[in-house]
Amino acid sequence: MTTIQRKIWLLVSVMLLIMGIIWMMLTYYNQQTQEQTNTILQRYLRMNEVTIASQKMITDLNNYLLDPTEIHKVQIEKSIKTIEEVQKDVAKLRNEENAFSVSNYIHLIDSLVETANRSILFSEEQELEGSKNEFNEANRISMYISEMTLTILERELKTYNLFYREIIDQSEELKKLGIWILLLVTAVLLLATYWFSLSITKPVHQLTKAANELAQGRFNQKIKVESNDEIAFLAQTFDEMRININDLILEIQQKAQLEHELQQSKLLLKESQLKSLQSQINPHFLFNTLNTLSKKAYLDGAEETSDLLVSVAGLLRYNLKRIDRSVTLYEEVLVLYQYMEIQKARFTDRLHFDAHIDESCLHVNIPSLTIQPIIENAVIHAIEPEENGGTISFRILRDGSWIIMEIEDSGKGIPQENIELLLSGQMDSNEGHSTGIGFQNVVKRLQLFYGVDNLVSIESVEGIGTKVIIKIPETREEVNDETINRG
Amino acid sequence: MRKKIVLLLGTLIIIFSYLTIVSATKAFRTTSELPVSLSEMEDSVRLVLITQELDTPFWNKVGLGAKKQAREENVELEVWGSYGSDEDDFLKKMEIAIHSKVDGIIVQGLDTEEFKELSKIKAAFYGIPVITVANDVPVEESLRKTYVGSDQFGAGKMVAYQLIKEMGISGEVIILRDEVQAYYQKERLAGIQNVLEKYPEIDIIIRGTEATNEQVISTTQQLMNEAPRATAFIAINANYAGPMIQEIGRRTQVEPFHIYTFDDGVESSSLLEQGKLDGILEQKPEEMGQQSVKWIMEWISGKTVPLKSDGYLTETNMLTSDGDKP
Repeated sequence: MTTIQRKIWLLVSVMLLIMGIIWMMLTYYNQQTQEQTNTILQRYLRMNEVTIASQKMITDLNNYLLDPTEIHKVQIEKSIKTIEEVQKDVAKLRNEENAFSVSNYIHLIDSLVETANRSILFSEEQELEGSKNEFNEANRISMYISEMTLTILERELKTYNLFYREIIDQSEELKKLGIWILLLVTAVLLLATYWFSLSITKPVHQLTKAANELAQGRFNQKIKVESNDEIAFLAQTFDEMRININDLILEIQQKAQLEHELQQSKLLLKESQLKSLQSQINPHFLFNTLNTLSKKAYLDGAEETSDLLVSVAGLLRYNLKRIDRSVTLYEEVLVLYQYMEIQKARFTDRLHFDAHIDESCLHVNIPSLTIQPIIENAVIHAIEPEENGGTISFRILRDGSWIIMEIEDSGKGIPQENIELLLSGQMDSNEGHSTGIGFQNVVKRLQLFYGVDNLVSIESVEGIGTKVIIKIPETREEVNDETINRG
Repeated sequence: MRKKIVLLLGTLIIIFSYLTIVSATKAFRTTSELPVSLSEMEDSVRLVLITQELDTPFWNKVGLGAKKQAREENVELEVWGSYGSDEDDFLKKMEIAIHSKVDGIIVQGLDTEEFKELSKIKAAFYGIPVITVANDVPVEESLRKTYVGSDQFGAGKMVAYQLIKEMGISGEVIILRDEVQAYYQKERLAGIQNVLEKYPEIDIIIRGTEATNEQVISTTQQLMNEAPRATAFIAINANYAGPMIQEIGRRTQVEPFHIYTFDDGVESSSLLEQGKLDGILEQKPEEMGQQSVKWIMEWISGKTVPLKSDGYLTETNMLTSDGDKP
């Protein structure tokens, strides 16, 4: 990830590098040119030195000849030494162009020194005439040296003329070059800066736009920033935040809906409770009325009616009280008898009811109203539709630790697919049940009560009859009782 | 907007790049090479050819021949000298050459005391060989190693023979010479006289003159007044032929006169072409230059020591106005 800092560093260092290179190049070039000019200037200065040194020597020689003291002697020796040194320097100036002249020049200096020495020698030997002559000659040679200096300088100028002009031209061109490079670098820098600033501000713009979108509540637009710096990181984080917010909002919406539904179901429950309260008034009143009717019937001598009414009242009371409680099998069987009394009174001869009960099994607990709804089913499906009536057999028997209850009728039977649907709880028909409890209900409650599946099975042969077998364990874990009670 | 900016800057960059490159190629173009410096004293042989008459056709040829030979011998040679026979300057150049300790001096002989002293004493003192070229100075007076050039005596004779051939064996001949005669002039004159003396019918009038044009003109005037019947003129110093003919032409026709001179004058060739001169004695200046360098190198390298003190003579011949050679 190139960070913005790194971008800035890169830009600045590249620029510095370019500037540095240019600066170094120009400096190097300038230095070279300067060296060249220096060399040339030095040539001239050296040649000039020769003239000066020779003139100085002549002056010193003159002084010595006029006044031959030790001081002047030292002076003239010094100037001779100087001129010899200068001569060595001049020897270095020889080149192809001026070799001849410079050689002459060097020899002229030699001659000058020799002549001067001779003059000194004559002077020391008191040969004034000879000394004078030599001095004159030295003076002439010195003049020749001056003249030759000029000649050589002139020639040098001619030789270097083209070279000088080129140096001048080049320095002029260098000035222009400097301006062009400055402008070029400026333009490049501007462009680079423009691109660079764009690479920072563009993602920021994109981010700002995205933030605006968010501020206006549009949470489902993806935030996309095309860059690879901190801004991109920011945008990514921002996007994650957006997604989170979006999720949260959805969750809240769902919760609100759930709450709403809960509220409604609560209301429904309240209503149903109210309804059931309302409906409870009637059974009590009905129960009391039935009891009163039974007494009245007994007093009037209609004992049968009275018994019937007692059965109805007992059934009603059982139904009211025991719906969510476990009862003993004995109680259940008692209610079953009462129910059958009522049904017998209704169907008279058409209904045959056989019961074989193993009384040792009657102490076990089962959910109330387990057998009655199944018997009622048998009545509804096997007795009611048949003109000739039918038979319902009820058996309780023991099979090891299991208690088996069988309810058998002589009806039309049930098709196999319907049996499966009934057992898996996908078909329910509550129609016509006196207690309002259907087959499904029974199956479910048994399952919950014992915590074991497949307690109920159905065997049916079409045209012959149906057999419902309920198999319950003799003992059961008490735990499940609670759940049932609560439900 | 964005594109415009980028486009503008891009164009600017391209333009500036171009200008920068153009400028850079100009600025960094390699400068012309400086002469190679010779750090060590390479003691190649240095020769000087010194003449009094720089930039005359004759001496240019001498210089040319000398340079050619110098190149062949691989030695350095420079032509020094004075213009218009400036003796002081000439002698100064000579002295500078001696003091510069050149390896050899080839000089146009000058028949003066100063010259003789320089060549005899100074040059000898420094051990520098001196060769005279074209104009000789006798060896006993100058201690020159040798002389390279024409046989001036023979040249004089040649001119005289030509004169007789054209003029006949009688007449008056005016000979113009320098007031102070150089050795070569004496030789020429001697050559002429040597021939003409054999013809008693021929009168010779010899007159010296100063070196300025006015003097030459006035001398010519005088001579023509004194000898109105003169039919022939010989300018021993070829430089005097010009003013002399000018003066003759001012008075009368030039054609009838027989006028002769030598080829080492400034105007000699052109006057001959114009037909004003009847003949000039042609020498071999180029060969002189060449030979002089050759012999001085022979001496320096020690191949031929000593050189012939009589000199090494180069050819001469007569050129007449109609191009005939005698």
